[in-house]
Amino acid sequence: MIQLYPAGTRYTVNNEWLESNLSFSFGEYYDTSNIRFGPLRVFNDDTVQAGRGFGIHPHREAEIVSIVLKGKLKHEDNLGNSGIISYGNIQRISAGTGVLHSEFNASNDEEVRFLQLWFSPNEKKLTPAYEDISYDVEQLENNLLPVISHTASERVAGIHQDLTLYLSKLDGKKTLNFQQEVGRKIYIFMIEGEISINNASILQSQDAARITDIHEITIQANQNSFFLLVDLPGGGF
Amino acid sequence: MLMIRHSIGSRLLCQTTNYRIEQQDDRWLISLSVDEETASTVLDFKDELNIFDAKENEKTWYYSSDVKINFRPEENLLLILADHKTVYPI
Repeated sequence: MIQLYPAGTRYTVNNEWLESNLSFSFGEYYDTSNIRFGPLRVFNDDTVQAGRGFGIHPHREAEIVSIVLKGKLKHEDNLGNSGIISYGNIQRISAGTGVLHSEFNASNDEEVRFLQLWFSPNEKKLTPAYEDISYDVEQLENNLLPVISHTASERVAGIHQDLTLYLSKLDGKKTLNFQQEVGRKIYIFMIEGEISINNASILQSQDAARITDIHEITIQANQNSFFLLVDLPGGGF
Repeated sequence: MLMIRHSIGSRLLCQTTNYRIEQQDDRWLISLSVDEETASTVLDFKDELNIFDAKENEKTWYYSSDVKINFRPEENLLLILADHKTVYPI
């Protein structure tokens, strides 16, 4: 089944410094029918105004991934890590037994837009950890580029869950095929553009699809498109 | 001020000034007076709670990794036995 979630179905939090579009229950938005998709628990599409951000706060028992689409995001944590990430970087925090961090827009004149995803870890009480990596943006072209995976490498961030997150920029009219093991799930989020899945379901900018019981899909770009695909484990969470 | 928040997005579930925190060996017993409805809301999220003791310049973050939390309705008392404590400036 391919279940489409148009951009307009997201819950929006808007204040003077933040616009956050929430795909799953988070904070003030609580919908018992929209808690998670497999281990994917949070998918926030955040835009933070220049010089503003999230002050120091804690997390635990979550694998937190940030993908910057525009601008610069400054990270600091109590593990001694700090850094600025931008488009072409991926940040992963394993909150484990507890981490304190802050995330601020590193620019005083440009907004930062980033996607923040939280996954349930496959193990509790992990030692907190931080990682950021750079992926090769040229490898996004007409390719599903893994950027986060439980099988990490130099340009692929690691994660404590049986999943792989891909990014792709697909030229108009081009197609890509994706196949996974039976029993797993697929989550797709359109960053920009328009794609068709299996010649039927159409996703436009900021739409998402949650796919179960279909393990082989063809993705066709109806125009130049940028999207994210997560190959997720099945089973109960 | 004691605040109990959901760990997914920090939704405020309970806030009170009527509470006690006592150290018991390597754990902390947090007790607070709440009505049944509030206790029920907190217990709905018992696996995913963060507890914050907020002072003027710092916060202390507690949680109970083994979910040791219960409500005594006859006393309107919510008890949380935390095994984690971190103090940080605000």
